[in-house]
Amino acid sequence: MLNVDGVVKTYETVRAVDGLSFEARPGEIFGLIGPNGAGKSTTIRMIMNVIVPDAGTIRFDGKAFSESMKARIGYLPEERGLNKKVKVLETLVYLGVLKGLDSKDAKARAEAWLERFGLAEWKAEKIEALSKGMAQKVQFIGSVVHDPDLVLFDEPFSGLDPVSQDILLDAVLELKRRGKTVLISTHVMEHAERLCDRILLVRGGKELVSGSLPDLKARYGENSAQIEFDGDASFVSTLPCVESVRAMPRWIEATLGEGRDSGELLAAVAGRLRVRRFQMMEPSLHAIFVKLVEAAGEAEDD
Amino acid sequence: MTKLPAIIRHEFKLMTANKTFVILTALGPFLILAITVLPGLLSMNPKALSGGEPIAVSGGGPGMTAAIEAASAFQGRAVEAVGTDAGSIADAKRLVQSGRYAALVSLADGWEDSGGSLYTKTGTDAMLYAAVERVVDESARQARIRRSGVDPAVARELTRRVDLSIVKLGTGNTEKAGGESDFVQTLFTAMSFVMLVYMTTLLYGQMIGRSVVTEKTSKTVEIMLSSVSPRELMFGKILGLGLAGLLQYGIWVSLALALSKLVAPLIGIAAPPVIEPANLAWLVTFFVLAYFLYASLYAALGAAAEDEQHLGQLAWPVLAFLIVPLVMISSFVSNPGSSLSVVLSIFPMTSPIVMLIRVLIAPPPAWQIALCLGILIASVYAAATAAARIFRVGILMGGKRATFGEMLKWLRVR
Repeated sequence: MLNVDGVVKTYETVRAVDGLSFEARPGEIFGLIGPNGAGKSTTIRMIMNVIVPDAGTIRFDGKAFSESMKARIGYLPEERGLNKKVKVLETLVYLGVLKGLDSKDAKARAEAWLERFGLAEWKAEKIEALSKGMAQKVQFIGSVVHDPDLVLFDEPFSGLDPVSQDILLDAVLELKRRGKTVLISTHVMEHAERLCDRILLVRGGKELVSGSLPDLKARYGENSAQIEFDGDASFVSTLPCVESVRAMPRWIEATLGEGRDSGELLAAVAGRLRVRRFQMMEPSLHAIFVKLVEAAGEAEDD
Repeated sequence: MTKLPAIIRHEFKLMTANKTFVILTALGPFLILAITVLPGLLSMNPKALSGGEPIAVSGGGPGMTAAIEAASAFQGRAVEAVGTDAGSIADAKRLVQSGRYAALVSLADGWEDSGGSLYTKTGTDAMLYAAVERVVDESARQARIRRSGVDPAVARELTRRVDLSIVKLGTGNTEKAGGESDFVQTLFTAMSFVMLVYMTTLLYGQMIGRSVVTEKTSKTVEIMLSSVSPRELMFGKILGLGLAGLLQYGIWVSLALALSKLVAPLIGIAAPPVIEPANLAWLVTFFVLAYFLYASLYAALGAAAEDEQHLGQLAWPVLAFLIVPLVMISSFVSNPGSSLSVVLSIFPMTSPIVMLIRVLIAPPPAWQIALCLGILIASVYAAATAAARIFRVGILMGGKRATFGEMLKWLRVR
C-alpha cells in the first residue's frame, strides 16, 4: 500500500529524518512511534507531499504521489487547524466535497460520524464554539469522511480525555476491520500497543527497531510467566522449558528458555499445582524502547 | 481542476457572510447617494454646504453691502453692515469668533488704495475669499476711476468683464455646454469612482493576503492541500472573493442607476453626467482587472509571509503602486492628456485607476484604451502564473522570513 524507502529531510543543520524505510501493508495499522522531535511528523508530511524529501522515495501501490491520489488518502495533521468561523457540518461537507464526494453524500456521512462521536447537536455550531477535544474529533471525522483507503493520523490522541481517546481508538480499529490501511504516529507507547500490528520505533530521525509487536516482544522481552498457586512449586525450576525462576512462597516467576512456548509451561504446572493465576509477563513497548535507548548508550532526552 | 468550483463557492460564502463585506455593501449606497444626488441637491440649496451665517461688512461706502451680498449668494449668505468705529469692529470680530458671522470684511478709509482685511475664524473658505476679493477689487477700481473724473459709463464699458464658458467636447464632435457646476459634479463623481476602485481593490487584495497567511499559520492549509492542489486553492480563493466583489459592485451599480435614472428626475434634480451605463461598465471592468492583478500579488505575498506583520512589510511595494495614482489624482484630472497621465494609464500597476479617471473626465484615444486593456489583461495572466508558483512553494515554507530574492527563486522551481 505505502512504501517509504530511505527518506531523508534536513532542516538547516538538523537532520530531522535520516534514512527511514518502512512499509504499511493493506489492512494493517502501522505505528510510527517515538518521542517528540523524533521525526514522525516530518515523515508523515513527506508522505502527504506537504514537504519534499531531500532523498529517498515514497510510493503508493508502487506509484509516486500524484494529485489524483489525494481522494484515496485521509490526513489528520499534528497541528489542528480548521477555520474557526465555519460551522461544524459545513466544514465536514466541504472537506468531503474537496475529496470528491458529492455534497449530499458528504452530508450524510458527516452526520453519521457526528452522531457516532456524540457531536450531532453541535453540527450547526461554529468550530470556535467547540472545546479542543471536540474540535479534534471533528477534524478526525474530516480525515475519514471520504472513506479513504489509506489514513495518516499524526498524534490523533493528544489532548483528548480518556473517554474520547477510547472512542477514537475504536474508530481506528474499525477502519482496520474494514480493510483500510492506517499509519499512525504517536509518542504514547500504550496507544501503539493497543492498536498497531507493526511498528517502527524512531529516535533522532533514525530507526531504532521495527517489526510486528509480538515479534518485538519476543525479541526484546524476557518471556517470563508469573504463576500464583497453592502447593509445592519447587519442581518448576527443573522443567526443561524453564531457564530460571524467582520463587516466593505463594507465587513464582519463571523465565522460559529460548524458543519455548508458554503453553508447555502451563500444561506442566496445571496438573501438579492449583493454579490461581497464570500470566505471561510481556515487556511493554515502553520497556523495549528504554532498553534500546540504553543499549545505544544514549540518554533519554524528553 | 474539478474541485475549483467547491473552493470558489466556499470562499464566496465565507466572504459574503463576513461583517466587513456586509457593512461595506450596506454603506456603499450612502456613498452612491452622495455621488449621485447630493451634488445636485447642494447646488440647489447652497446653505446646506456653507452653514449660511451672514457676513459682516464694515466701511467700503454705499453699495458695498449689496455687492458683497450678490457675490456671496452662491453660498446663500446675508450681509450685515456694521460700524467703522473701533468698538463696532471689535464687537464684530467677537461675533466672528463665536461663529455668529462667517466673516468680517473691514474696509477702513483709504481702502480704495490700500485694500482691507477679511477676518474669519478658519481662514480656509477660499471660495468666499475669492468672491469678496473680486467685489472689493472691482469696487476699488470703480472708485479710483470716479476719483480721476472719467465718465462712469465709459469706465464701466472699459472694465466690463467677459465670461469664459466651459464646453466639453465629447466623442463624435458633440458639444456640451455644461458650465462650472457640471464640471465640478463630473469631477466629484469621477473622484468617487476612483476612490471606490482604490478602496475595494486594496481591501479585497489585503483580505486575500490575510486569508492565505492565516491559513498558513493555522496549518489549515495542510488539510486543504491534502485534498486539493496549491493552484486550485489559490485560484479558488481569488475567484471566490472576486465573485463577492462583483456581487457588491452589481448592487452598487444597480442602485446608482436606479437613483440617477428614476429617483433623481422624480425629485427634480440632475444626476451627475458621469453616472451613465457606459461609465459604470468601465468602473466594473477596471475594478475586476485591478482586483485580479492585486489579488494575485497579495496571494503570492501571503503565501510567502511568515505572519501578518511580515505580510504588511512585503506588501509595501505593491501598496505604493496603488497609492501613487491617488496622490497624483489632481494632476491627472487637470491634465488627463499629459504624457505622465498617458504613461501611467498604460503601465499595468497604475492603469486601472489612471485610465478610469481619463475615461471619465476626457475620453482618451481608443488605441490607448485598447493598449491599456491589452497590457492589463496580459499582466493579470502573468501575475497569476507567477503567483501560483510562488504560492506553491511559499505556502508550505515555515519558520523562515522569505525575501523577494527567494521568491524570485521559487518562480523557477519546477
